[in-house]
Amino acid sequence: MRRQSPSQFIFIASLSLVMALVLGLLSGAVNIPPSKLLGLFDLSNTDLDHRILQTIRLPRVLLAALAGACLASCGAVMQGLFRNPLADPSLIGVSSGASVGASCVIFFGGASLVGSGIGLPAIAIGAFVGGLLATSVVYRLATSITGTSVSTMLLAGIAITALAGATTSLFSFFADNEMLRRISLWQMGNLDGADWSRVTTLALVVVPLILILPKEGQALNAMLLGESEARHLGVAVECLKRRLILLTALGVGVAVSVSGIVAFVGLIVPHLVRLLIGPDHRYLIPGSAILGAVLLLLADTAARTLMSPAELPTGVLTALLGAPFFVGLLIQQRQKLMG
Amino acid sequence: MLEARQLSLSLSEFTLLQGIDLQIEAGKVTAILGPNGAGKTSLLRLLTGELLPSSGEIVFNGAQLSQWQPKQLAKMLSVLPQGSQLNFPFTAREVVMMGRIPHATGLVKDTEIVDAALSAVGGSYLDKRFYTQMSGGEKQRVQLARVLAQIWEPDASGDRFLILDEPTSSFDLAHQQLTLEIVRGFARQGVGVLMVIHDLNLAAGCADQLVMLSCGKIAAQGSPETVLTTAMIKDVFNVDASIGLHPKTGSPLVIV
Repeated sequence: MRRQSPSQFIFIASLSLVMALVLGLLSGAVNIPPSKLLGLFDLSNTDLDHRILQTIRLPRVLLAALAGACLASCGAVMQGLFRNPLADPSLIGVSSGASVGASCVIFFGGASLVGSGIGLPAIAIGAFVGGLLATSVVYRLATSITGTSVSTMLLAGIAITALAGATTSLFSFFADNEMLRRISLWQMGNLDGADWSRVTTLALVVVPLILILPKEGQALNAMLLGESEARHLGVAVECLKRRLILLTALGVGVAVSVSGIVAFVGLIVPHLVRLLIGPDHRYLIPGSAILGAVLLLLADTAARTLMSPAELPTGVLTALLGAPFFVGLLIQQRQKLMG
Repeated sequence: MLEARQLSLSLSEFTLLQGIDLQIEAGKVTAILGPNGAGKTSLLRLLTGELLPSSGEIVFNGAQLSQWQPKQLAKMLSVLPQGSQLNFPFTAREVVMMGRIPHATGLVKDTEIVDAALSAVGGSYLDKRFYTQMSGGEKQRVQLARVLAQIWEPDASGDRFLILDEPTSSFDLAHQQLTLEIVRGFARQGVGVLMVIHDLNLAAGCADQLVMLSCGKIAAQGSPETVLTTAMIKDVFNVDASIGLHPKTGSPLVIV
């Protein structure tokens, strides 16, 4: 397959991102005429359409774009780290780990915490710690001198997901009604709680992350050759691994804490970008971030409009699209191994 | 100079290497020989800093190997491991370009070096081909070009060394010869070369110094004539061989 030039791809993807943002702003339970976008940032506009745009739609599309960019770039980094194109935060248990961390905080923090201003950051920290533990465990189990074992990686993912499921069930069992509702809504992966405080929390983590990660691109490329090869190319491998595990756990943890488990974005997007512009992480990471934002925006817009005025959980939609894609990838890999 | 002094390595109570004294000089080719499991790859991994010795020390260009900054070391020491795990669709050019990661010489210079390294291994035609779709021999040539590109030019901080673990294992006759010519060419430029090689005759034809490993110890060390004797081959490999002379080069020829 012929490759596209990275700069051309990033240009086209950025254009699509703008279009997806506009589309997401305009469509929903109430369709808003495009002319209303003009006064979007003018807070003195108090008619209904502008209020919908400012307090509901804008945070929602920004949240979708940020979460998509975060999950996709973290997915790209994880695949490089594991030297395996099938690694994805939701498949290898990082998202589940993060969700356990977050449920822990909700459960033990109780209503006092959730109502107050520190609620969201506290949940985000819980999710980060959970995600970090999960990534470290999977990484330790699955990688050895000879590389990463996919089967161990996926099995570790199953184990962590099962453990996470059990823990969450336990919390649900002891939780009161209000807490139960909070925990279970979250697991579906939903962006419908979008508000400005969530957007800010996510942006504070995601924007620096997207700026930092591509700087590790060259070192990640070397990692794909093998750990010892990377070391001989002057990469401080242990340090790099620790840093990347920390950063991706942070990214996934925060994304999970504001949007629940949105599966497969981290798998599909880097794969598509790699097909289009090649595996060089210096372009793969920013490319994935932009395309991830576009994809999750479109998925979320579809989730809001398909059964309008009711909303499908976004995570359900991405899983419906992602699972067949993943099976397709597995079949392709199998054929590669056999032939 | 890359020097090993009284190196020993034990992993989980097994002694893999014992009392290894070795000097790899700049501008010379040294070949490590020995039966499977003699500790050849372990020795390379000690000498490249990938494993730490249980005792003994390694001195690289005047300082302890472990005291060099990884980035600085990578400008002088380039290592070709056995086999490769790369399963992402990079092009040959992109793989060879990774050899330039430790350097900050700019894209123009790096492109020149990558062109030259690819052409040196007879792989110019592979340029835009995907690594994942190449044959074993082609992959090995691309990897060889990568480690050559890494130390293509002299570095201010010290002598360059090239360490190769079975560089010819998946090559046909022509590419085996080409590899050995490349290795000799680098040695002429002052690069110290250390390689593990299984074919005794290839080693004898190319190396200045042979090191015969047996059960984790050095059984013999020196010029090909002194190391490759019928007694030594019987002793180390338990094979009865005759030693002839190469009709053109005069180096020893092991005939089994």
